[in-house]
Amino acid sequence: MSNHCSGVRPENPYLPHPARIIRTLPQIPDHQLFQIRFEKEQMAESFTYRPGQFVMLSVIGTGEAPFSISSSPTRPGNIELCVRRIGHVTDALFRLRPNALVGVRGPYGNGFPIEKLEGNNLLLVAGGLGMAPLRSLLWYALDNRSKFNNVTLMYGAKNPDDMLFKYELLNLIDRADVKCLLTVDTDESGIWKAHVGVVTTLFGHAEIDPSNTYAAICGPEIMFKFVLNELLKRNFPKDRILMSLERNMQCGVGKCGHCMVGYKYTCLDGPIFTYWDAINLPEMI
Amino acid sequence: MGKPKVGVYGLTGCAGDQLVILNCEEELLDIAGALDIKSFPMAMSGGDENCPLDIVFVDGTVVQPKDEEMLKNLRERAKLLIAIGTCAVWGGVAAMSNETPREELKNKVYGPAGQVFDTVVPQPLSSFVKVDLAISGCPIEKEQLLQAVASLLHGDLPRLPNYSVCTECKMSEYPCLLVEKGQLCLGPITVAGCKARCPSYGRPCIGCRGPVEEANVSSEVRLLREKGFTWVDIQNRLRTFAAPADCFEDKILKEGANA
Amino acid sequence: MRIVILPKENLAEFIGHLRSFGELHAPTKRGEKSLVFAPVSDLSEIELNYTRTILPLKKYFFKATDVMFNFCAEKGYELPVEEADKKYVIFGVHPCEIHGLKILDLVFGGKYVDTYYFARRSKVAIIGLDCIPDDLCFCRSTGTDFVDTGFDLFLSDIGDSYLVRVGTSLGDDMVRAADSLFRQVKKEDREAYKRNSVQRRDSFQAEIQLQDLPGIMDLEYESHVWEEVGEKCLSCGICSMVCPTCYCYSVFDELSLDGNTGQRKRIWDSCLFKDYALVAGGHNFRAQRSSRVKNRYFHKQRGFVSQYGRPSCVGCGRCKAYCPAGIDIVEVISKLRSEIRV
Repeated sequence: MSNHCSGVRPENPYLPHPARIIRTLPQIPDHQLFQIRFEKEQMAESFTYRPGQFVMLSVIGTGEAPFSISSSPTRPGNIELCVRRIGHVTDALFRLRPNALVGVRGPYGNGFPIEKLEGNNLLLVAGGLGMAPLRSLLWYALDNRSKFNNVTLMYGAKNPDDMLFKYELLNLIDRADVKCLLTVDTDESGIWKAHVGVVTTLFGHAEIDPSNTYAAICGPEIMFKFVLNELLKRNFPKDRILMSLERNMQCGVGKCGHCMVGYKYTCLDGPIFTYWDAINLPEMI
Repeated sequence: MGKPKVGVYGLTGCAGDQLVILNCEEELLDIAGALDIKSFPMAMSGGDENCPLDIVFVDGTVVQPKDEEMLKNLRERAKLLIAIGTCAVWGGVAAMSNETPREELKNKVYGPAGQVFDTVVPQPLSSFVKVDLAISGCPIEKEQLLQAVASLLHGDLPRLPNYSVCTECKMSEYPCLLVEKGQLCLGPITVAGCKARCPSYGRPCIGCRGPVEEANVSSEVRLLREKGFTWVDIQNRLRTFAAPADCFEDKILKEGANA
Repeated sequence: MRIVILPKENLAEFIGHLRSFGELHAPTKRGEKSLVFAPVSDLSEIELNYTRTILPLKKYFFKATDVMFNFCAEKGYELPVEEADKKYVIFGVHPCEIHGLKILDLVFGGKYVDTYYFARRSKVAIIGLDCIPDDLCFCRSTGTDFVDTGFDLFLSDIGDSYLVRVGTSLGDDMVRAADSLFRQVKKEDREAYKRNSVQRRDSFQAEIQLQDLPGIMDLEYESHVWEEVGEKCLSCGICSMVCPTCYCYSVFDELSLDGNTGQRKRIWDSCLFKDYALVAGGHNFRAQRSSRVKNRYFHKQRGFVSQYGRPSCVGCGRCKAYCPAGIDIVEVISKLRSEIRV
């Protein structure tokens, strides 16, 4: 007989904790920012996480899915999830209105290696929904500004109407303590004042010293390859290029097997991997 | 949200899938309470044949020209069209001899009596209209139907198993009829959901639920050939319930047979 | 380790004693040739000289389908009523099975403890029994042909008796409760045990070389062997269901007809299923069957070694025995090593 269960009964790691949708903020078509708060006030106040971590969110009766956290742990209380309506769970989530009960458990995953990043320059490169996890890191850095050197954000969207957190980010352009470079592939509005062109064109507008910079990239696969190219051209060390991976996850805690990549679990060992990890793991990118 | 307005209709077929709904004896009151059944010609008279519907369940196959007409009308009336039963989803037994010219077949089956009605080449509903959900089975499984209704009431499209009968067979630890007895079992290529009902009685799977997505028919044919089954036996078994399925095209079957 | 001798004529009576420690389960016939672990009432129903059951012991701890939570729209998810505190004794468990459980202990333990698995694990006593390998067994290659922990008692056939190793305090209680049935180990018992051990070792026919396999797997990542196996593979999932160490599952919410209450369940899954690596939005990280086959081998023989320091294969031979397409792990690995010309 196994002795594993002797003594204190361990907590069930799969139990979703009751939480409520506080607010839903439409972003762009089919994308919403959900502000969520645990029902238990103590949990709401004490819940903390690293930028880059994720939670498992349950829509009661529909199911559970992983979502990266878009808010920063420097602003405790509500957690924010930027969600694209794309499948079974998100379809149901978009039907929910403020005050609806959901289940949340986490935080899971490694998150960004904050301790290593501190004292360095930060270069955040995002495309599309890739801004969701990077927003957490962005605000973490801005709220702990003295701990980081230069902070640069490059974010590309298809057009101005497709840009997540648009007004929030536009407000950063004038700030002196962050270089916020926003670009759109095309602009038909005529009122877009920032850059036009793919995200890699922004590299011409920023000085990047690869010797003391960490890059965090998040976005669609195609963008990824081009950005990587830019970084490698500048002799960026492969273990200083960080990326967030997406995989099928059913448990979030390294049991169900679905998120296995090569021989790592995205949910435990990731979702943040370095480019060095990626070239050493089959089928990662 | 109020109760969804529902219709239940049958095209040409045995109506066995509609019968499954009626056979949900214990749950029938709950179903009737949760759904606003506007029309169910097999079970009730005086239904509303024109009102818009939230959900329509359709069994049977398009075999006669009037089936197609009815199906298209139902599609227009309903927000969600749900094909129930292997006939509706895959063509079913009506489609097992589609390669034979229609007139010849009609003559063979009905003789001179066949002259009084028209038939078309039987095809699954999805060949004619958009199908939002396909619940296969001959007949459908009551549990799957109830699950589907519960999910629909919740606002979700139900998710059905996308793996083979073998998986359920092994979950229940039934002896393998292919490996142990060398029977002509279609478990590996047939979609699950029946909890391996036939193997549970020691009978091989005859594929009545239709093929699983990405069914490896070539490999199945090859292994059956190795067990000594004739090409004709294999082909007949494969094409009994879901002949119109792409994976049962002649080319694929021959490839498996010749490998 | 305490070692005692149980003369075979006392086995039936001892089995009777075991029933006072819990519901007795043992390998028993299902159909003409198959065997399953199932409840038995006495020795006559037990197959002592069996090789493998259809499902491994994982079915007792990690059930094919399992209720995780009850839910309702108003309260969210809640733990289901706990199972009755019923004890079980599983008799006749082979070494590879015990190793399989030890591997599952690793997976379901760790930082996050799978409470469902371990709650059941603590209720089950394991009585091991040694075995003679058939042509599919390669547990000697995987180092799982012998166990020194993970059982309460372990019986080894030494001719007219069983040599019984006592693994736990509970095992000791079982022996003491039937004290008169046992005797001390004599010199000839020790000799017989050692003789049998050599004989058993020499009877293995199937073999795979595991030592440098992780490196070979990396080298042969693009091998055409994967395409070849992928063409044969039916994606039927049988190998995953019958594997003692396959632990993948998926989770779903099952609603009642009221549309508001229901149960969250989990069900065995397989990395060979098409949807296994599918993410919302439709991207499939392993859309090709060959990539899924490769992943299965990779995870067992390469990935698990990196994670836990050993492969997760225990050499039980089930994946070959029950594969309708006849895919043979020993052959696949030989092909990768180019020991078989393809």
